[in-house]
Amino acid sequence: MDFFYLLLQLVSAILVAPLFDGISRKLRAKFQSRIGPSIFQTYYDIYKLLKRGRTKSYSTSYIYQISPYLLFVSAAVMFCALPITYSTDSVALSQFSDIFVLLYFGALFRFIFIVAGFDTANPFAGVSASREGTIGFYTEEVAVICLIVVMMGTGSSNLPFITALVQDGDYGYAIPSFSIASTAFLWVMYVETGRKPYDLAEAEQELQEGVLGEFCGKDFAIIDIAILLKQMTVLGFFLVIFMPWAGLVDNPILSLIIFLAEIGFLYVMGVFIDNFGPRFTINKGMKRTMLFALAISCTSLALYIMGI
Amino acid sequence: MQTIFTLFFLTSLLSLLLYKKPILAQKIGFGLASLISLYAAIFFFSNLENTLVWRLPGNFISSPLFRLDSLGMFFSFLVSLIAFAVSLFSFDYAMFYEKKANLAVFASLFNAFILSMLLVIASDNVFSFMLLWEIMTLISAFLILVNDGEGAGRNVMIYLGIAQIGAFCLMVALLIMASIAGGFEFSAFDELNMGFGMSLTLFVLLLIGFGSKAGMFPFHVWLPLAYCQSPSNASALMSGVMIKVALFAFIKFALLLPQLVQFGYILLFVGALSCIFGIIYSLVSNDYKASIAYSSCENVGIIFLGLGGAFYGIGTNSPMIALLGFIAAFFHILNHAVFKSLLFMLSGNVFTATKTRNMDALGGLHKKMPITSIIFFVTALSICALPPLNGFASEWVIYKTMVMGGIEEGAASRFFFSLAIIALSITGAMAIMAFSKVYGSIFLGIARDTKSVEEAKEVSFIQLLPLGLLASLCVGIGIFMNNIVDMLSKIVLTLIPQTSVSADRLISMPIIIMVMFLCAILPFVFLYLLKANNKEVRVTEPWACGFLYNKSMQIGSNSFTGDIRNALSFILKHEQEIKIDGYFSKAVYKHKTHDLFWDKLYAPIIHSVMVIADKIGIFQNGRTNLYAGYILIYLCLVLIIGYYFL
Repeated sequence: MDFFYLLLQLVSAILVAPLFDGISRKLRAKFQSRIGPSIFQTYYDIYKLLKRGRTKSYSTSYIYQISPYLLFVSAAVMFCALPITYSTDSVALSQFSDIFVLLYFGALFRFIFIVAGFDTANPFAGVSASREGTIGFYTEEVAVICLIVVMMGTGSSNLPFITALVQDGDYGYAIPSFSIASTAFLWVMYVETGRKPYDLAEAEQELQEGVLGEFCGKDFAIIDIAILLKQMTVLGFFLVIFMPWAGLVDNPILSLIIFLAEIGFLYVMGVFIDNFGPRFTINKGMKRTMLFALAISCTSLALYIMGI
Repeated sequence: MQTIFTLFFLTSLLSLLLYKKPILAQKIGFGLASLISLYAAIFFFSNLENTLVWRLPGNFISSPLFRLDSLGMFFSFLVSLIAFAVSLFSFDYAMFYEKKANLAVFASLFNAFILSMLLVIASDNVFSFMLLWEIMTLISAFLILVNDGEGAGRNVMIYLGIAQIGAFCLMVALLIMASIAGGFEFSAFDELNMGFGMSLTLFVLLLIGFGSKAGMFPFHVWLPLAYCQSPSNASALMSGVMIKVALFAFIKFALLLPQLVQFGYILLFVGALSCIFGIIYSLVSNDYKASIAYSSCENVGIIFLGLGGAFYGIGTNSPMIALLGFIAAFFHILNHAVFKSLLFMLSGNVFTATKTRNMDALGGLHKKMPITSIIFFVTALSICALPPLNGFASEWVIYKTMVMGGIEEGAASRFFFSLAIIALSITGAMAIMAFSKVYGSIFLGIARDTKSVEEAKEVSFIQLLPLGLLASLCVGIGIFMNNIVDMLSKIVLTLIPQTSVSADRLISMPIIIMVMFLCAILPFVFLYLLKANNKEVRVTEPWACGFLYNKSMQIGSNSFTGDIRNALSFILKHEQEIKIDGYFSKAVYKHKTHDLFWDKLYAPIIHSVMVIADKIGIFQNGRTNLYAGYILIYLCLVLIIGYYFL
């Protein structure tokens, strides 16, 4: 039964993710005084991609063939690791849902992304592969510093356990280090969604999506879904730790709906940063903005160490 | 136990005696070595919970005692397991060095090296331990010299120099311990009574002594030099197991001292530094073997983090943390032995096929060596600690230890454990970059330098077999993670006796794999339901934004790390030289990254030693009457000192 709900959690996320993307695209267009595409445009895009034929560069090997599926699997496992439809009661799944499982599947995603970039021998793919690794280097430590505060505060890296503690109010915003960590963590998770000012998915080829330049047809559709799913996951990661109120509802399906709505809200709200934020080159942008997030997270860690 | 030692000894002698027929000796030497080490691995594994004792018979100056307890058995098992794979690999691989060295000597040294490591682990006496330790160092130095070439002498001297610094510290520490214990046999070292300062000093001496051999920061400078110089099978053994022997000895002796909390802190701090510096240099080097070598420093750092947790747990009397810490450290030791020896052997395959170590010259090797490439992919995944492979399993246990340690009250412990987690996570992020780069630029894309890759071909079956076995071990250890943890906890319980186990809340790898499969089905269902276009893929040139594609447009290993090198410029000194004259002529681009600690620490010391040696040289000038004068001065000095002070 747990696995059935898990599958439901995953499938419903896949089904609604393009909608959120569509809404945010529409909203962005409105800000820029354009009419913009329909909110269902992302569905149409994916459907159209599925029907297209494929090309590949002569340099590619097996990595090119399996990477869309590997990317999908790692993003999907990351999403499954969020305890939405299950909790500590589920013996099997609480042995799986763990902060480090989530983080390292994220790392697997990155690894495949980089290797796929090398495989196509495309210059832009290579640059964007390098970018992807560099962003990982910048964001990982800020995210982990925030998570240290939470893990040491609750004494576990088990996600359902942490969620349950925060839900019951045994651990939470009454503790200063936790509330400060939440700010920095939300920031980093926004960076991880790969949007401006850190990345711009549909802009120049050398930016993050350059790796995708060589993919087409159904492969591209699968990767597209995987990326959408990863964006949902990182926002969900923030929610299950810092705002797990959706889990207070007993009915798993109902809490899933509330949870997805919350993610959607955060996702669409990202447009406000996305649309009004400036654009930097990677090193400048990262240094200028991530240092601040790093300072916040270090403050919260310092508070924890001092025992406040 | 004695049978195994004797067999290795005889094989070593036999292959040396056949030096007139090197090829025969090579086949016999490596073939027998693999058989004996297979037997040894089975023997040590089945005796994992026993203690064996053996005294060297015969009329030697002393008759040293050899003793293997549970911990020693585990490390001996590790040595023989890796030795089995490596010697099977060498059966064909060593032929590559046919023209460079006498293969009979190579095979003989190889056997002697395995024997010396096993003896160091088993040795139970200060003198035999130090003697065997030095013999082990010496044999490994000879193994490095098998691949004689430009700079070989310098690299070996640096290796031996650092080994000597270590051996000196060890000798001092062990002699002090022996004098306090009142006996030279380690079994008599049980109750050492000493003060706080003494205990801390001895600990630091042991750490320098064994850490320098293990490649701990800042003694890591010999790693890239020695490992790049030596043949790949020797570096696989050195990196895979020799540094584990050092770690074994460190654990064994450090546990004999009166335990302090500070031990844990020191280890955590040194471990964190080793991790970060190791991986930074691994990331920026363009030589794949150097990259793998530096990552040894990183992994030793990770192991030290686990050990730091363990010693902290013992020091504060929290058995659960101690238990978890030791399990984590041993688990990572096991995993590192497997994937690091695997990586060195794979790099040997690449080198024999392409004759170059420069990643910027390689590319597209997957098409020529598909099996090597796939094994490399699995190994790269496991060294990056990606689930569901073994690296992830052990790093997870280490993370768990760190979190457990950080819960404790007290700012110091919280600070050091947080530092450890941060270091580990930064290391994780950079390891992803480092090894995706190594794999990507060697095997994927298009050959950058066509000459080197064109003639490459897949190595023989017998050379691939041990690689396949170890790679499946990487997967297997990951899946059966909980069983391994159970097995290791039995060993750890012999180290810290008054503890009970209650392993709780571990993750379950089979469930992770089940979820992965569940997720893997989805895209296929999705593609089937929406009737995706399944037409054959059309092959084209890579897209170059409308320009004519050229293979030199690909990203190289150097440019891949450009951004990160700029970001880290405060600890990574690099020089670059760009020369462009004219629009149509080829631009020249040179780049070199320096090892900061070599420049700032070692180079000045070596320089000053040279200067002092030069000055001392004046005394040795060949004039007999001056020498007689020295003797006279010396005698007078002795007389004065003897009269006034004694």
